[in-house]
Amino acid sequence: MSLDDDIAAWAAAIRLPEAEAAAIFQRIAGTPVPAPLVPPRLDPSWWRHFTADFTARMVASTRPVRQEA
Amino acid sequence: MDREAEFRRLYEAHRAAVHAYFTGRTGDPQSAADLMQDVFLRAWQHLEKLTDLPEDRQRAWIFTVARNLSVDAHRRQHTQAGTEQALAREPARPPQPASTAVIAAERVAVVGDAIRRLPEPQRVTLTMAAADGMTSAELAVALGVPAGTVRYRLSLARRAVAEALDRYDDPTEK
Repeated sequence: MSLDDDIAAWAAAIRLPEAEAAAIFQRIAGTPVPAPLVPPRLDPSWWRHFTADFTARMVASTRPVRQEA
Repeated sequence: MDREAEFRRLYEAHRAAVHAYFTGRTGDPQSAADLMQDVFLRAWQHLEKLTDLPEDRQRAWIFTVARNLSVDAHRRQHTQAGTEQALAREPARPPQPASTAVIAAERVAVVGDAIRRLPEPQRVTLTMAAADGMTSAELAVALGVPAGTVRYRLSLARRAVAEALDRYDDPTEK
């Protein structure tokens, strides 16, 4: 008997029995799944206001400054 | 996606390795089954995230959870107690003339005793390789160590087991 055979025989003795593995699977699969967390979202109108405001500021910032005489 | 079918695939792919990992750490297959259940319960709860990962990342995720649980269990001293109980429960049996079946059982006991006496990293690595047939590369991902380290641990562990069997086969040998 080779070393691999001896180790394999020991491994077979400590392996989880199929029936127990199946029972664990059933216990876990019977557990309710937690509801997915929905990340907080901004109201769509926020983006409309933000965009309009941002555009207005950009336009204003590129307007040439009137030089005083 | 059929959630249960997806989970079954994951469970069947990794359960033997996870059970072997905990058996190697605790020395007790029953404690290992309890800890394995905890790992897969977390996998079940995070299945959507897990199924998006490639296979080696799934394995890494599962064994990261396993290592963390193992550390927690160790802190609660269950692990050490389990190892000591397992060592106390299964002392090495002295060799004696017997039938083939008894000799085979004794050889299994000798191997088990030699493995339980290994340093933990070697014990865990050999247990996983033996129980699930994982390759060095797979073990490296699972244990978070280089593949060379895995091969070195396996080599030392196998040598220790071989020496224990030699002593069993020839008790007059030192």
